[in-house]
Formats: sequence, C-alpha cells, structure tokens
Amino acid sequence: MTDLLQLLFAGISQGALYGLLAIGFVAVFTVSGVINLAQGEFAALAGLVAISASASGLPLVVAVALSLLVVLAVSLTMERLTVRQVPGLTTLQSIILTLGVSTALKAVMLIGWGPDAAGLAPITAGTIEVAGVSIRSQELWILGIAVALTLLIQWFYQSTAVGQSLRACADQPIAARLVGISRSRATLLSFAIAGLVGAVVGVLASPISLSAWDSGLTLGLKAFVAATLGGLVSVRGALLGGVVLGVLESLTAGYLDSGFRDAVAFLLLILVLGIRARGGFTVAGGARV
Amino acid sequence: MSSATTGVTGPIDDVRSAAVTGWRARRGDAVSLLVLAAALAAFPLVASTTLLNAGVYALIYSIAAIGLSLLMGLAGQVSLGHAGFFAIGAYTQAILVTRYGTHLLLALLAAVALTLVSAFLVGLFLLRLRGHYLALATLGFGIMVFVVARESEYTGATSGIFGIPKPLINGRTYDSPAEFFWLAAPVVLIGLLLARNLVTSRLGRALSAVNDSEVAAEALGVNTFRMRLQVFVVSAGYAAVAGALFAHWLTVVSPDSANFPLSVTFLLMAVLGGLGTVWGAVIGAFAVQGLGEILRNLIPRIVPDVTGEVQLLGFGIVLAALVVFLPGGLYELWRRALRALRPRRQTSMAALSAASAAKDGGEPPVDIPTLRAAAIEEALAVDRRVSGRGPLLLARGISARFGGVVAVDDVDLTVSPGEILALIGPNGAGKTTLFNIISGVISPLSGTVTVRGRRVDGRPPHVFASAHAARTFQTPQMFASMTVLGNVMVGAHLRGHAGLLAGGLAVPAIREERALERHARRLIDLVGMTKDTDTPVQDLPFGRQRLVEITRALAAGPDLLLLDEPMAGLAGPERRALSDLLRQLRAAGLAVVLVEHDVEAVLALADRVAVLEEGSLIALDVPGRVRQDPAVIAAYLGTDDDDDEVAAALQSDAADSPQRMPGE
Repeated sequence: MTDLLQLLFAGISQGALYGLLAIGFVAVFTVSGVINLAQGEFAALAGLVAISASASGLPLVVAVALSLLVVLAVSLTMERLTVRQVPGLTTLQSIILTLGVSTALKAVMLIGWGPDAAGLAPITAGTIEVAGVSIRSQELWILGIAVALTLLIQWFYQSTAVGQSLRACADQPIAARLVGISRSRATLLSFAIAGLVGAVVGVLASPISLSAWDSGLTLGLKAFVAATLGGLVSVRGALLGGVVLGVLESLTAGYLDSGFRDAVAFLLLILVLGIRARGGFTVAGGARV
Repeated sequence: MSSATTGVTGPIDDVRSAAVTGWRARRGDAVSLLVLAAALAAFPLVASTTLLNAGVYALIYSIAAIGLSLLMGLAGQVSLGHAGFFAIGAYTQAILVTRYGTHLLLALLAAVALTLVSAFLVGLFLLRLRGHYLALATLGFGIMVFVVARESEYTGATSGIFGIPKPLINGRTYDSPAEFFWLAAPVVLIGLLLARNLVTSRLGRALSAVNDSEVAAEALGVNTFRMRLQVFVVSAGYAAVAGALFAHWLTVVSPDSANFPLSVTFLLMAVLGGLGTVWGAVIGAFAVQGLGEILRNLIPRIVPDVTGEVQLLGFGIVLAALVVFLPGGLYELWRRALRALRPRRQTSMAALSAASAAKDGGEPPVDIPTLRAAAIEEALAVDRRVSGRGPLLLARGISARFGGVVAVDDVDLTVSPGEILALIGPNGAGKTTLFNIISGVISPLSGTVTVRGRRVDGRPPHVFASAHAARTFQTPQMFASMTVLGNVMVGAHLRGHAGLLAGGLAVPAIREERALERHARRLIDLVGMTKDTDTPVQDLPFGRQRLVEITRALAAGPDLLLLDEPMAGLAGPERRALSDLLRQLRAAGLAVVLVEHDVEAVLALADRVAVLEEGSLIALDVPGRVRQDPAVIAAYLGTDDDDDEVAAALQSDAADSPQRMPGE
C-alpha cells in the first residue's frame, strides 16, 4: 500500500511537469496549428542556464529569473525568425521548421554546456514523511507551482481580454481578424506562454531529473503525449493528461520494469490515437483552451 | 486546426507532375543516372582521404535518404524515427555476421527482410495517424529502438556489437575507402532507379493524386492507407540496406546508430536535396556530409573543448532556413538555374500562360461532341455483365447527424441500371451528406448502403469505387499538380493492377501503363477535350475542370455515377451538352444520380426525382408527378433566385462538415 502511494505521488509530481510543458504545445497549436518540436528544448535550456547562473554565485531566485528571461527571449525570437516568416505553413513545413530550431538549440546547449547532465539545487531540500510515504519537498513545489500556473493560465484565457482574444484567434481565425485581433500578436503571445511554461518546467525538473543538452527530447515527446491525451486544445486537459501519463509511467516502472518507463508514453499515444482513429470521431473532450 | 487532420503535404510538386511524362523523361533520367554513375566512379580517384571518408558515409546515408524522400515526397508522410529502421538493419547484419558467421549477402537479405516486417507492423499502427501525430509517433518509435538497443544484452547494450568484418565478396576484401565507395555506389544507383520508377508508376501517380486531394483519389479507388503503408515499408527497406552497409564500414554498431540526431540528419538530406525528387536525396546526402565535416572542424576552433555532434548546430539552422527561404531545396535552385539558362522557353511559357489568362476571361463554352451510345460504350470499355434488372444502388434507412443537427433522416433510395435519378431539395436538405454517406466519405449514424449487393457504408471510399461506382464533388476536387491526362489516368486506377514490385522494376508495368494512357486519351477525345490533354488542370477554366472531373470519374468504367451539382458554373449551351452526355451514358446502361440546383434542367433530364427536405425524403417519383406534388412546391419549387443564393452560401458551410477520411 505504501509502495503504491509512493509510486502514485512520484507519478503525479512527474506528471504535473509533463502537463505543464504540454500547456506550451496547446498554447501554440491552438493559435497557429503548429506543434512546436522545440518545446522540450525550452525546458532543457532553462535548466542549464539556471545551473550556470547559480554556479556563478547568483542566488537561486535570480538564477531562475534569469533563465526564465533567456528562454522567453529564445521563444519569442524563434517565433519572429521562423514561424512568422512563413505564412500558411503546411504541417510538414511546421514539423521541419520547428525540428530545425530544436536541433539547433540542442547543438547550442551541447557546445555551451558539454555533453554531461547536471542538476539545479532544489528550491528547498529535504524530504517529508507522510503515512510512510517519503516526499521530496521539491516534489511539493512542483505540484504547487504546476497547479497554480495552470490555474493562472486558464484564468488568463477565460477572464482577461487578451486571453479571450487568443481564444478567438484559435476558434475563429477569420472572425478574430475581422474584429481586429492580430493573428501575428496572438502567435507571439502563444510562444511567450510556451517559453514561460517550458522554462518553469526546466527549472522545476532539474533538481530531480537533471538537465542536459538532449534532455528536452523525451521530455518534449512526453509532454506532447500529455497534450494529446487532453485533446490538444485544453489547458486543463493537458495538465490532467500529464498526470495520467506520469502515474502510468511510475506504476510501470515500479511494478513491471523501469526499462519500460519510456515506452509508456509512446504506447499510450498509439493507443489513444488509434482508438480515436477507429471511432472516426473528431478531437474529443474538454473545454477548448 | 484542420492542419492537424489533413495528411502531411508540403512543397512537393514535382514528384507528381513527373507521373505522366512518358519516354522523354525516362531518357532524361537515364542520362542523369549515367552522369551520376560516372561522377561516383571518379570520386575516389580525385577526392582527398578526408573527403573520401566523408563520401563513403554520404553514400551510405544517401540510401536511407532516398527512402525517406520517397516517404515524404511521394506518400506525403514524415518519419522522425528513420534511424530506428537503419539500426534494425545494422544490428541484424552485425549480429548475423559476427555471431552466426552468416554470409554477408545472406545476412543482408535477412536484415532487410526483418526491417520490412518491423516496418509493416509499425506502419500498420502508426500510419493510421496523421500529420503531427504521425511525426511524433515515429519519433517515439525511434526512441524505443534506441532504448531497446541500449538496454538489451543481446544487442551488446551501450557498447554495441563490434568486430564486424569489412565486406569480403568472392575472395575480395573491400577495406579501403575507395573500394568501399565503389562497392556502395552501384547500390545507390540501383536504389535511385527503383525509387524513380516507383514515382512514375501507377502507385506513384495514385499517391501524387492523394497528395492533391485524398478524398477524390479514394473515391476513384485508390486505397490510400495500403499504398502509404507500402511506401513506408519500402522506405524502411532503404534504411535497412544503408544500416547493413554502415555496419560493415564502421565495423561497430552502437545504440548511436538509432539515435534521434541521425534521424534528423536523414531528414535534412532529403529536405535539402528537395522532396520533389529522389535524386535530391543523393545530392543532399553529400551536401550534408560535407557541411558536417566543415562544422566538425570549424566549431572546435571557435569554441575549444567541445565534443559530440556539434555539427547539429548547422544542420538545425539549415533545416529551419530551408523552410523559410528555399522550401524546394537544392532541386528548386537547380530548376531556377535551368530556367534562367533557357530564356526562350520561358517566354513561350509566358505566352502560354498569357493565352490561358485570356482564355479565363472569355471562358469558351465546353464543346461536348454528340456521340452515339455505342461509341461511349466502346470508350468506357466496360464489360457490362448485366445482372438482370435488379437494383444497382440500395440505400436503406440512412440517417446522419452533425452535433445535434439531423442532416439525413431515415432515407431509402434505390437506383437501377440505365436510369437517371435526380436528387433535389433546398440547401441544407442533406443531399451532399447523402452522397458522402453513399460513397463512404462519412459513416452514417444508421442504415446500410449496398452497391450491386456489396456493403459500402462505413467503409473507405475506395471500397465504393471498387464496386464499380464513381462520384464527383460539389467543389471540383482536381489533382491540381497534374495535367488533364494525369487526372484521367488516376481515374483509370482500378483498371490497372501493377503494384509495388512491377512499378519499381518499371518494365513489367509498361504494357499496362500504355493501355491506361490509351484509354484515358480516348475518353478525353470523347468529351472533346483533346486539345487540353496535356494542359495542367489548374490552368483550365472552371467549366472545363467540371468536365475533367466527370471524365475522370468515367475512366474506371463505372456502372453507377454520382454527380454533385455538375451543372453549377456551366453556361446554357454547356448545360445542354452535359445533359446530352448524361443521356448517352444512360443509354449505355449507366445509372446516374445527380444533385442539382437547376430544377428545370433536372426535370427535363431525370427519369425519377427524389426530393429531400431537412434530411427527409418528401417525394420520389417521375418528374411529372413531382412537379405537381404540393409538399414539393411548398418546400422547394417556389423559391426565387435570391433565396437560392442565400441558401447556396449556407450550403457551402454544410460542405465543410466533418468528413471521415479513411485511415484517420
């Protein structure tokens, strides 16, 4: 029983990270129909920048803030230099384009930080023991921040004028343009959200699962699976999808074989999409954005 | 959001237009192949050692890149995990040769066979996915192969398999870079030839059509899923051959041969060369290897102490830059250069397009010659085994619903050979939806559709087509990258049988290809479009596009023809000509069902008229009685033109209703 609880909790906190990163996919996809393959690299980059800043003597808060700024700058630059430049991207083009950015970012990290993984100091160290389950305090931070940030983003979409205009762009691009909402500003904003959640995930995950130049690959793929589980258009769905994936991974690693951990996301993706394809129904579930 | 559900199609024009180019293109390709062969033969003689080493890798990788280029350019599908197949080939070869002492060529056969089987199984699941999902799923597949290779003791875990001998064939060892290069070059050339044949084959033509309009290609009998799966498997086979060669060249296979950066490298090679051509993959492979070589030397000089695959920096930037600046890759650059070198041809092209622009302005009427039914019978070349007077199309209790709206409500319809049935009704009455259900474009909520006793409802449109039925669309679904001839030849798809193998080898399929072309030309002559045979359909005025679509639908020799608003956009004389053609088709024994707004034309033409209102069949009778039916008059015949136009706008919304695409 304790084992199960332990696994569940570990899965939920890991899953919250997938879910948070998944929101980045959702934000960009709903506005521009692009799946940003560099989403995982945002997280890896944030982790590495924070580690370096922190190692150079800056306080953790400043290091984290700096990494958020750097990643935000990267995500906005990416939008301006690439996605913005090609109007009417086809699916294939968007895949190649964001894959290119993702590959270049990976290489930049490899050149700048070398091939070895490193970890950021946790926000607070130590573990807490609840009902025989030992919980790292970092995991509590992850959960708290993930939920808070998700709620914040959802509030932004639903209750602010800017957020609603983003939603309008996603739902009715032509109508949105008619009432004067700039598609281009919306895309930029969506990349800002993608950069923000990417960076937050990067610094939160680093103390537990380490950051490396190539750690964005599987992280990004899993976040995509989480976003897909949530229907790819829903912020809340993305977080829940992440938690489901995290828990399944954790249970698989705990009860079957830790080697299978990385297979879970892939199998889930095929299963979910396969079932959906067979039923022939359209994108399911959840409130849009 | 539609981009998520459509197939991955990109800046891919030329694979398709290559589909119908005949012997001149074949000769041109033969010359190119010879030039490439000569260049490859000479390369080891002139290249420095470093360059030659890079060249060997370029040659090996180019085989995988050709496969990927086929997959992306022809099948319109993307794989971000092709290194996975490369690794399966490499590991199989390595294990067989080192552990079991298998002969190298036998091992190669086994490596390719195993990879083909894996790709078939993987593709069976993955190719049901579309666009982004497929891309990410293939990426996941690549990661899985990598993880398995790294974790499994059988594959030597992280250290991999080593001690693979350099190739030894007929007592001769190919151990120097030059010898290995000469060994691999013929493999590349053969691979190129097969890929090129495939592109111009019946399969290639059908897949090009799918890239233009999947629903139209399916409705002409193209089994999209099956063909994509075939190309996926072939493409993996190419990767396997590359992998096996790689194993023998490097003499070590490690999990790195399955890693993601290698998949990206293959992708870059295909994209840089240009997805429009399989030749580009070879050029792209050499360019990418060259770039990698330069960057591996350059970056450590700028940033000391770097290790690993730093060349990815350049690869990533080039990949992104290609999409922004040169979507057609080096091949596009080459074509631009050619065009610049041939100014005379350009002006004649300009004159041509000016002429066609002038044509657009004046829309000449479509001139359908008057023909005897016997001529049509002959041109359609149908062996019409008349199965009594039994019904051809039988629809029972068809219902469909979009969201909460009932689009079609419990409709029964029977159509017999040799009759014209008109389907009329106010806009939004469910006419197009009914067509979509009958032809398998969408599944009904309930009810059954049989064509000649064969169930077709809820099955992909190609099943409908293979029951000797064809349809056209409200908005013409042209294969925009092809000529009129190409379009009609896709229509004749089901007359052919040449598959993957015959297409790849080309020679076995030549007779069939010629027969298909003859047939298509005869039909084009029949409808009076001889002059437009080699015109790209995009350049045709709207009315002629409609006619092409009908001709294309006739090309397979259907017993049942569904026409969705064939008169729309046609002028008076054209409408009369089309009516004549339809009468002749009827006389030849075809059953025609048409949705039409021109009520007068319909009443004059049809044997029976079915009237739909709000999804329900409110009348089904001979024109004379329908004309008198009070319910019909109330629902439909009283409306004036202005109402029609408002309704027409609504109708176009209805056409956007969700369509179930096969394999999605």
